[in-house]
Amino acid sequence: MTLTLHAPRIVKTAPLVQVHGVSKSYGPVVALREVAAKVYPGEVLGIVGESGSGKSTLLRMMNLEETPDAGSYTLDLPDVEGNLFDLNRFARRILCATQIGIVYQNPHLGLLMNHSSSGNVAERLLVAGERRFAVLREKAKEALAASEFPLERLDAPPIELSGGMQQRVQLAKAIALAPALLLLDEPTTGLDVSVQALVLDTLKRLQRDRKITMVIVSHDLGVIRTLADRVMVMRRGEVVEAGLVDQIFQDPQHAYTQQLVHAKL
Amino acid sequence: MSLANLTKPWAPMSYGFLDASAKRELRRKMIKSVCVPGCQMPYASREVPMARGWGTGGLQVSLTLINPQITVKVIDQGADDSVNAASIRRFLARVSGAPTTLDTLKADLIQSRHRIPEEVLREDQVLVLQVPNPEPLRSVQPNMSIARQMHGDADYGRMWLQLYEQIVRSGRVMQGASYPSMVNGRHVMTPSPIPRWDVPKLHMAKHLTILSAGREKRIFAVPPFTRVEPLVFDDVPYRVEDHAGLTCSRSGAKGFFMNEIPQSDGTSTYEVSDSEYGVKSIRQRDGETLTMGETWYKDGEMPQ
Amino acid sequence: MAYVATRGGERAIEQSERLFREAMGKIDAARVSEVKAALPYLVDRVMGEASLYDEDLAALALTQTGGELYEAVLVLRAWRTTQPRLCVAAAVEQDSLFTHRRISAAFKDIPGGQVLGPTLDYSHRVLATDVLGGTPFDPPRVEPAANPAPAHQPSVSAWQAANDLVDLPATDGAAGEAIPDLTREPLLFPAKRAHTLQSLARAETGGVLALGYAAMRGYGQAHPTVNELRLAEAEVMVKHPNGTEFSAGRVKVSQAEVVSKTGDKLGLGFAATFGWNEVKCISAATLDLNSKGAPKGSPTEEEFFLYHTEGVEASGFCIHFKLPHYVTFQSSLDAMRDAKAKPVKEPAE
Repeated sequence: MTLTLHAPRIVKTAPLVQVHGVSKSYGPVVALREVAAKVYPGEVLGIVGESGSGKSTLLRMMNLEETPDAGSYTLDLPDVEGNLFDLNRFARRILCATQIGIVYQNPHLGLLMNHSSSGNVAERLLVAGERRFAVLREKAKEALAASEFPLERLDAPPIELSGGMQQRVQLAKAIALAPALLLLDEPTTGLDVSVQALVLDTLKRLQRDRKITMVIVSHDLGVIRTLADRVMVMRRGEVVEAGLVDQIFQDPQHAYTQQLVHAKL
Repeated sequence: MSLANLTKPWAPMSYGFLDASAKRELRRKMIKSVCVPGCQMPYASREVPMARGWGTGGLQVSLTLINPQITVKVIDQGADDSVNAASIRRFLARVSGAPTTLDTLKADLIQSRHRIPEEVLREDQVLVLQVPNPEPLRSVQPNMSIARQMHGDADYGRMWLQLYEQIVRSGRVMQGASYPSMVNGRHVMTPSPIPRWDVPKLHMAKHLTILSAGREKRIFAVPPFTRVEPLVFDDVPYRVEDHAGLTCSRSGAKGFFMNEIPQSDGTSTYEVSDSEYGVKSIRQRDGETLTMGETWYKDGEMPQ
Repeated sequence: MAYVATRGGERAIEQSERLFREAMGKIDAARVSEVKAALPYLVDRVMGEASLYDEDLAALALTQTGGELYEAVLVLRAWRTTQPRLCVAAAVEQDSLFTHRRISAAFKDIPGGQVLGPTLDYSHRVLATDVLGGTPFDPPRVEPAANPAPAHQPSVSAWQAANDLVDLPATDGAAGEAIPDLTREPLLFPAKRAHTLQSLARAETGGVLALGYAAMRGYGQAHPTVNELRLAEAEVMVKHPNGTEFSAGRVKVSQAEVVSKTGDKLGLGFAATFGWNEVKCISAATLDLNSKGAPKGSPTEEEFFLYHTEGVEASGFCIHFKLPHYVTFQSSLDAMRDAKAKPVKEPAE
């Protein structure tokens, strides 16, 4: 009897997100310098650094809210081609609505505070062209449920909700259209510690169940540790070190990373 | 050739009141608005001998289009004899020498505040609607410049959100008159404060409709055979006012938009809002031979 | 039964107009002259808001409307609409203004001096009731000063600019037909400077005062100092097609310049109008001063105050609520009644 052995197939996945050579200055202030990053499908990339590191600026650019002075940004998706920074207004809006979700640190930026929570989620679906009321209602409920938002408050406006619940509404809004990429800018900063833990749990579960590709910005290493697979350390607009989370945290190479890691531990 | 031949005596106003520059501005903006259906075109609105908010926008359009061969009808809330309609009709006749009529079928130009007549308008007729607030996004965005950008971006999410929330809160869309409508599949417009009953008359109509806001200085148009679709969810159909089963207590006409007249015993009677249609119905009932035009609504329903 | 023959509408409006006019009785040229002579400041205000300089027509407008200011301004503006545009006069430079009154709160004394001119600022506001009792009030004669005040003064801001305290706005050199005209083009935002100044020039005095007052009290960022307030006459210089330049006459103008500390320099606000109207100029200039850098959508932003100080539009819209609205009302009632008839279920778990 002979055994036929097949050579193992090495499947090389292309990165979903590629950012390359991104630079931005505001007058004399250099916010970003030659920043590059890759995120693979289903992966969570953490970006860590102190204020002024440029991490939030980078995230805003990945949300196409701002364009850099130089650099490219590509998403490996069907029907999406070229440098996204070159897209016109219309294409940018459609792409952001359907393929990118974002959760801001400040819920006022991401939500219409005086509209209902379900309405906040429904608005995304409406912008993407959904015109069936029953579907809007159903999908809004689904997204809110997945974000572990209490459904009896479905129609309450975010202004009446606690900080943790507001973040859950943001999350529901961000995942409602099953976007290719989810961006989170300090999603739990400012929340009560116990609430933080709960929200992080939700994020972790969501990521595991839906295999959502995420980029999460935080100054809190604990958050990065909990959620991220890989991490990028930024300082004064530059990436100083990047790699697997465990690697970076256990064996930081760059002096700044060492400082960060040791200050925490 | 003498100076007397070359000049004409000084007159306190031009033909049709508006001077040449005003008419040119109106014509250009009307043409522009016909080219981009439903899109508001800013124009340099002139003052006319009538207070702003009383139909100066509609009046400027009528004054630009009018000539001594054009027969004009003017209505307010559907009635020719409403005081404001009477005042505008008198002014139009005075400054242009144009003949006036009460009969929709005989009019070439119809200036109207807040209603579309019940008899179907033809290709050779122009409807001018008076608009108080031209901006359908006003309730979600009071700033005109920001709203203008939203139209440019076709950013109507907030508008739809408002309708969604009305259904959530009250079980139905609560929008009364001025129902926001998508024109030619691209721009959302307010059809002016006409009742929901009247909006379907604009869809793929044979006639040209010009909507003009004098105070807010915007003009927009629905060219003939253009789609006008009220913003509705696919599974929550558009509803007109519940007037299909009403009967006019004076003319006996049935199934048209009615004015409710409260009675002292707590009940209400109804009168057909298109007052000339009501009058014609009475005259016909009394044995007179006259032409009743084909109506958009038949037996209280508008066939698709 | 005969059909409804009587159309009440036409007759009613005719009589209502007669009722209004009955109060004023017969109007003749003599009465118009009286109004013009007796109420020059009211005539000025009306000319300013109508953006039409003609004292006789303004007096006529006031006479014909019985002093109903909004009606008077409307009738003048409507007149303006019918008149052909013959030409555009030359720009009037500050130093060529023939000054009757020029004061500055910024400095104790300035080149050209503080010229008080005609004002009630320092008078006692006491009603001269004796007049009603039969004793006419004959104002005491003016005693001319030994040295007359100069007819022309340099502007205070020119001195400040020379001392690097303020940046004067650059002129774009536009002349004649090239100057943007608010009455010929729609007002869009951000507004052209010419449109802003024209809009303020013909703004309604009360509206400008209300919003200006709010800005002065703290709703605006900048606290104004009156650099200069002027009541003057301007020569209207016109050029005939064959090249001759001549004066079409003089018009009364008033203007105010206000400043406040903005960073390390002075910010500048300016407004001018036909006729002499101090309250309007100072308030309008204050609004102008506060508009730079005002947050989008706030009451100190241009888009807010220019829209809402347009007197003809504002008063017209206000009174339009008197028009019948029963069709739209019926439409709302319909939606309300239907909603009440079918109460909404609570959202399911």
